[in-house]
Amino acid sequence: MRLIRNKWVLMSAVGFCGAGAILGAEPLHIYSHRHYEVDQKVNALFTEKTGIAVKVVNAEADQLIERLKSEGADSPADVLVTVDAGRMQRAVEDGLLQPVKSGVLEKATPVALRDAQGHWYPFTLRARGIVVAKGRVKEGEVKDYADLAKPEWRGRVLARSSTGGYNQSLLASIIAAEGEKAAEQWAKGVARNLARPPQGGDRDQIKAVAAGLADAAITNSYYLGMLLNSPDAGERKAGAAVRLVFPNQSGRGTHCNVSAAGITKHAKNAEAGRKYLEFLVSPEVQNIYAEGSFEHPVSMDLSLGGQVGKWGAFKVDEAGFLRLGELSATATRLFDRAGWK
Amino acid sequence: MREKGMDGWLIRGLAWSLALLVLLPVMVVAWRSTGEVGQAWGDVVENRLWGHVRQTLLLLVSVVSLALVLGVPTAWVVSVYDFPGRRSMRWMLMLPMAMPGFVAAGAYVDVLEGLIPFYVWIRTNWGIDAFLKMQELAPWVFAVGVLGTTLFPYVFLSCLAVFSRQAAGALEAARLLGAGGLRAFFTVGAPMARPALVAGGSLVAMEAMNDYGVVSAFGLTPLTPGIFRAWGEGEPVVAMRLAMVLLVMLGLGLVFERWQRGRRRFATDATEGILGRRKLPWWLGLGALGLCLVPFALGFLLPGWRLAGWAWASRDSAEWAAHARAAWHSFSLAGGAVLLVMASAFLLVAGQRALGSRSVTVAQKIGLAGYGFPSALVAVGVGAVVVWVSRNVPGAGGLALSASVSGLMIAYWVRFLAVGIQPVVAGFEKLPGSLREAARVLGERPLGALWRVDLPLVWPALVAGATLCFIDVFKELTLTLVLRPFDFETLATRTYRLTDEGRLAEAALPGLGLVLLSLAGLIPLTRWMRLSEK
Repeated sequence: MRLIRNKWVLMSAVGFCGAGAILGAEPLHIYSHRHYEVDQKVNALFTEKTGIAVKVVNAEADQLIERLKSEGADSPADVLVTVDAGRMQRAVEDGLLQPVKSGVLEKATPVALRDAQGHWYPFTLRARGIVVAKGRVKEGEVKDYADLAKPEWRGRVLARSSTGGYNQSLLASIIAAEGEKAAEQWAKGVARNLARPPQGGDRDQIKAVAAGLADAAITNSYYLGMLLNSPDAGERKAGAAVRLVFPNQSGRGTHCNVSAAGITKHAKNAEAGRKYLEFLVSPEVQNIYAEGSFEHPVSMDLSLGGQVGKWGAFKVDEAGFLRLGELSATATRLFDRAGWK
Repeated sequence: MREKGMDGWLIRGLAWSLALLVLLPVMVVAWRSTGEVGQAWGDVVENRLWGHVRQTLLLLVSVVSLALVLGVPTAWVVSVYDFPGRRSMRWMLMLPMAMPGFVAAGAYVDVLEGLIPFYVWIRTNWGIDAFLKMQELAPWVFAVGVLGTTLFPYVFLSCLAVFSRQAAGALEAARLLGAGGLRAFFTVGAPMARPALVAGGSLVAMEAMNDYGVVSAFGLTPLTPGIFRAWGEGEPVVAMRLAMVLLVMLGLGLVFERWQRGRRRFATDATEGILGRRKLPWWLGLGALGLCLVPFALGFLLPGWRLAGWAWASRDSAEWAAHARAAWHSFSLAGGAVLLVMASAFLLVAGQRALGSRSVTVAQKIGLAGYGFPSALVAVGVGAVVVWVSRNVPGAGGLALSASVSGLMIAYWVRFLAVGIQPVVAGFEKLPGSLREAARVLGERPLGALWRVDLPLVWPALVAGATLCFIDVFKELTLTLVLRPFDFETLATRTYRLTDEGRLAEAALPGLGLVLLSLAGLIPLTRWMRLSEK
């Protein structure tokens, strides 16, 4: 009898310890704007490697920032992830993030694309380029963003609504490079050239170009990657009917936005947060992003992904990057004045 | 008999608290819109305001016109003539009410894409200007079409009541005097139906004004999406000012209608009759059937068919867990809202009947007004109140908009209280006041009489109101999109979001769920309506 009782006590003690070991690590709480399948894969891999469970709350970046402000010191969030550097800068200005010092992160990310004090670091790059119809547009006919504003493109251009973050950041980068007046002229020119009032997302613009509605569209590169690798044959056909151009290569470079992550000011699990950030820029994860969501690795190491490698190297517009946040309100105003819905 | 005791004051106090709560969002918006706003408002006035106002007017006029064109002839034809299929069309023409606009929009959005070869043909043959004009017109045609074909049943139902009952006597008289068919319509039917047209048309206009899902699906920007854009951009005062603009437009509409009516009075003949129907020759009968089938097909059959096909095709890859979670949220929100609404409605109406107090009558009327406030106004007003409370009241951080459904529930309550009050009022009207007097004489206090005499007697009316309210909250999109907490989806928001992301096939399943539930709710409702008509 005594033996059995001891055995059971022993087993439960062992069981408790084991459970304690597995559950002992505090979970990591992430507030994220990203909601692709590849993100779930990355988080699962993180848990596998470190034993830290990952709990994600998905919402738009603006809502996440509002939530962090309301929660204050009681916030359970450890990490904030957005898909727009402007929003991250807003979070910094609102005092919601803490600086992180990490050799790994500093080595893996370009200086011009990260916060100077280390409040946030990028982990993928999203190029905003131009897709052109293969049959109808000659090589070299479209080289810069400015080409789309020219009068000969009337009724031949497609773009999504100006209310989305991607176009706002693009215009903000043009304001930073060329000034408000030139940016407004550009926006006016493109708005006049639109083949239809803005409708749908970037993928819809690509599909419409492929279907013949227009000859060029402004879109993020990874959406083209998604179409080319879609399970739907129609979408693959549409992707194959267009060509991707990286604008302004002979000038300041192509405007890129980033997916970025930072550690919240009142994080309870800051150490795990730092591990997560460093994990995101590791080659293995960068490869997952390159192959899974066709986003460029932040190190621009093109050996990492098939589709991304095919598109080749390109110059990134780094000069005005850190001003995108402060200029986005101006960009909204200019879009309204230019009549770009 | 006016009551003065403690019970009386308790009821009065509660009724007035409720009325003030209904007015709170409007008062907050009106007060804060006079506050500091900075450069943002100037920019909006310069660049966006007139576009919003123009589009709102255009939308309202087009949708109401389409609803009248679809609703009035069909109601006429179904009331006055007899043709094969008439009986079925009478109830089938109500079904588009169960199809929320944003669900139908999902079924039509890809039709726009499919039209691209047609646009290209226009461009080759008619030039680039015609092409661009078509591109601007197309989303309007679709948006007005979707809203008109899903909202016309309001007009249909109100005209049906007039043509087949209230105007019956006059129409029979007209027929006897030799004015048949169309002449009777223009000289007797249409003028007598004016109140019904106004009532139905106003409902359609309100729904169109409050719509967010359909107009966003087609890229239009009337005031409601404009208000939410300003709110989302972090400019609450701009959003509130735009909401006040909307309220002013609503007020002007009401004034216009009153002025149009002038001194005319509309009386219904005490001796309502059932109109004898004229049998149509077979070819006219087919025409009548065709006339009825068109709005039914466009507003219900076609979108329903496409959605069902997509839902079936995607049944294996559907994210059932997420859909189930959204459904659970829809049910629990609607259930909670119904409890709050019906309890308040009962209190306001029964309290008014029990006390006979003028002030409670006013409180009840204020409760009814909540339905008239634009959804965007209510959303922004309630949102502002909840944000203020969560930031300034210590310990109330958990009430924050992103964290709890409290704001959403209050907004539902403000918006749909009227939906609960109306049937309860109708139910009480059937009751003789003497029953309650008898209870009082026998010693019951006012609250007791309320509880033990009134409640059981108006129970069927309460159930009807609860059903209406449940369906309205279940289908609701505009308020829910703005005030819901994080990671919180209802079937309505899920359908809208998936449609917006272009994942139409996945949106079909929750969309279909919404339609089926609304249908399920329509059935007992129509039965109750028919019973109460007897």
